[in-house]
Amino acid sequence: MTALVFVEHVGGVVDELSLQALTFARGYDDDVEAVAFGGTPAVTGVGTLHVAEIDGYAPQAWARAIASLAPTTVVAAGTDRGNEVLAHAAAMTGGVFAANVVRADGDAVTRQRWGGSLLEEARLHGDVKLMTVAPHAVAIEEAAGEPAVQPFAPELEEADLVARVVERVDTSTGGLSLAEAPVVVSGGRGVGSAEGFASLEELAGMLGGVVGCSRAVTMAGWRPHTDQVGQTGTKISPDLYIPCGISGATQHMAGCKGAKKLLAINSDPEAPIMATADYAVIGDVLEIVPAITAELRRVRA
Amino acid sequence: MIASALALAAAVAVAGALFARRVLLLGRLVRMARPPGIDRTDDVPDRVRAEAVVVLGQRKLLQRLVPGLMHAFIFWAFIVLFPAIFIAMIEIVAPDSAPQWGWYDALSDAFCVLALIGVATAFYIRKVLRPRRFAGSHLGEADLILAWIAAIVTTLLLLHATDARVFAWAHVLLILGFLAYLPHSKHLHIATAAINVYFGRTRARGRLEPLRFDEDAPEEDLRFGIGSVKDLTWKQMMDAFSCTECGRCQDACPAYATGKVLSPKLVVMGVRDHLFAEGPKALAAGEEYDGPAVASHGQLEEMVWDCVTCGACVQACPVNIEQIDHIVDLRRHLVMVESRFPAEAEPMLRDVERQGNPWGKPQAERAGWAEGLDVRVLEPGDPVPEYLYWVGCAASYDERAREGARSTAKLLLAAGVDFAILGPLEACTGDPARRMGNEFVFQAYAEQNVETLNETGVTKIVASCPHCFNTLANEYPDFGGRYEVVHHTELLAELVRDGRLSPAKGEQEITYHDSCYLARHNDVRAEPRELAAAVGTPVEMDRREERTFCCGAGGAHMWMEENAGAINEERVREAAATGAGTLAVACPFCTVMLDDGVRSRGDDLRVVDLATLLAEATDT
Repeated sequence: MTALVFVEHVGGVVDELSLQALTFARGYDDDVEAVAFGGTPAVTGVGTLHVAEIDGYAPQAWARAIASLAPTTVVAAGTDRGNEVLAHAAAMTGGVFAANVVRADGDAVTRQRWGGSLLEEARLHGDVKLMTVAPHAVAIEEAAGEPAVQPFAPELEEADLVARVVERVDTSTGGLSLAEAPVVVSGGRGVGSAEGFASLEELAGMLGGVVGCSRAVTMAGWRPHTDQVGQTGTKISPDLYIPCGISGATQHMAGCKGAKKLLAINSDPEAPIMATADYAVIGDVLEIVPAITAELRRVRA
Repeated sequence: MIASALALAAAVAVAGALFARRVLLLGRLVRMARPPGIDRTDDVPDRVRAEAVVVLGQRKLLQRLVPGLMHAFIFWAFIVLFPAIFIAMIEIVAPDSAPQWGWYDALSDAFCVLALIGVATAFYIRKVLRPRRFAGSHLGEADLILAWIAAIVTTLLLLHATDARVFAWAHVLLILGFLAYLPHSKHLHIATAAINVYFGRTRARGRLEPLRFDEDAPEEDLRFGIGSVKDLTWKQMMDAFSCTECGRCQDACPAYATGKVLSPKLVVMGVRDHLFAEGPKALAAGEEYDGPAVASHGQLEEMVWDCVTCGACVQACPVNIEQIDHIVDLRRHLVMVESRFPAEAEPMLRDVERQGNPWGKPQAERAGWAEGLDVRVLEPGDPVPEYLYWVGCAASYDERAREGARSTAKLLLAAGVDFAILGPLEACTGDPARRMGNEFVFQAYAEQNVETLNETGVTKIVASCPHCFNTLANEYPDFGGRYEVVHHTELLAELVRDGRLSPAKGEQEITYHDSCYLARHNDVRAEPRELAAAVGTPVEMDRREERTFCCGAGGAHMWMEENAGAINEERVREAAATGAGTLAVACPFCTVMLDDGVRSRGDDLRVVDLATLLAEATDT
């Protein structure tokens, strides 16, 4: 038996999660091969590395190529791409596919469900088994040994290339985006008015961050919807999140659960946001925020 | 005499041919249609009752007294005067053998007068009052039809008064002309409304039609909502044929009332116009037909996303058009086939699919709301409780909605009810995904939850969330889950009635906001009021019970943005106008939406679940 690992790489550098998938595969099967597309990645510790020149983004074509190698076990990283390619490959080979696997032994797999909050024991019935490995479920173990590189040219159907890269567009707008900013200072209804955001702008500027807002603020027309943090706005994951005058409705919290530290400024000590805040200042936003900026200015002077 | 007979026969033949040609086309369209997802031929006694009440009794029309009577006069006259057509024909062919029924002439004269009063009232409404519900309707066509009806009854009155054959001719020719014109106009409802009423939902009105895409599904049942005109069900076609553009649905629609693009009337008219434009092409092309999506007609695609599935339109429609089925089916195609829907709803769909709840909260924290309460979390193999308390995602995770769940649990404990929760085994029912149009995700959850519930062996469920309640009670039977489901207000009211809970009546004035999925879709109206009356003084809003006004959260709108006026603020405005200090609710979505509305308007109004009011008034 051989386990075939679909390796994702950028310019030959193997993705960290694919290294995890390789480690997983070596633990699952004695005989491991790899397959990669659009270049020859620096893979070690596998017998054969199959490479095909299908460039760009072509999940269905990649899957067809994988299927053409007639594998019995296919492993990939549990990335969006890994899951997509293996779903196609499973359909093509008539195999069974388990996503986000954390452990596997023969037919028995343990996999994550519901965003990792549950573990499911499952059994893979089928001649071809496909698995993606849940991110960070396995610690990378380096293995030595240069593989034999085996170029191959799979026979593709026209339909396999329906999804392909037509154009690459840079999404960054020049400035710092809400989704990627290291610091976000958000205002809620407690800011009181559109003008009230001036002090938040100032604070965000001094901290190298950007300003966000709650849904109530967008509804009131104080800020554009593009500034909205929350379930129906932008999901953020800054190092520091400073919600000002935001009570912390579920819809808002769903958008900022990725924040590493949360400093809440709110006049209501009972506000739900206090339950999640790492630090809190109880008081009027319009007094507290200028006081913080004044102090920052003093310290930095 | 023979000349008259021949002339009459020719007129009948021409009118009949014009009528038949159109009706044959309609018939061919209906034969092309897909079967609806639910059985619409069962419950015969209920369907017959609907004919008696809704058609003959005009009950849904009479929800508005003056326009209702106006229509009822004309409709009843139409029934009473039906034999007069044939009597007038005999008058033309053989005047001597025409029946001489004095009593019938007198009766029909009376109904002619009623019809004329009806027509006059209709013109008064249309020309003087000019209600907003007619915006977008074909007004000229309506004027023509009304004038035509007036002419028909006037000629009959003149015939009775003078016995002159010219009026018999005029009467008959007007009717034959009307017959030929009828199926080409919105007045087609004369022929189709009674049929449409018969096939309308008789019970479980909140139940959506399930789609079948399992492997065993017969090819002809395979359907992903409404793509092209070939995907319409015959009920949807009958709906389209039956619309008279009266606009009662538009008037009741909370999205329309707050300035959205959506008008349920324009949705049905859009489907109808598209059907008449594309249907003949689809018939001609057969299997080869590859026409445009129904959603691409006019503004339909834009409109369907404004709907909160509150059902006010369905409730208001005098001919049992089921607008929600059209809207959800159009959404289904857009979501599942074209993957085109408002971007802000995407996180919700993803979180329901992957995390089992629409906010992406950890499943392990599902029972967190019950911390400190002695609530039993059901494990496989445990003894079966009398009631399973289905908490729902909102009451499990949302800070404001949790209070209602805590209160409910405290009360059930105080009353000694044997109940348990599923905790981490409970998942989203799939309702928001389903109403958004993602039937795949819904059915996956339906099957999973039914399996979980059936494994526990529970037979009775009490649900906090009216949306869960509706799904569990009305939709899970389609997936093998049959339970006796009650809403927490029903169970609590029963406990109060039985003396197992003894709340102290307070002074506070309470206005109760009916949740659409309780009051309208599921007829739970009395019990919440019993609870309000048990703890305070109820004050009613104008739009209440089955005519309630949505909070704005239904149909997955809890996770979408308002793109015009805010429905929740409009509802809070009405609640605040009652002067009550407490706005009682019975739904976690209503709790959040209306509380948001109060905050943004700055009203001095406490939004609180009835369970919490009851818990405060009870020594728990």
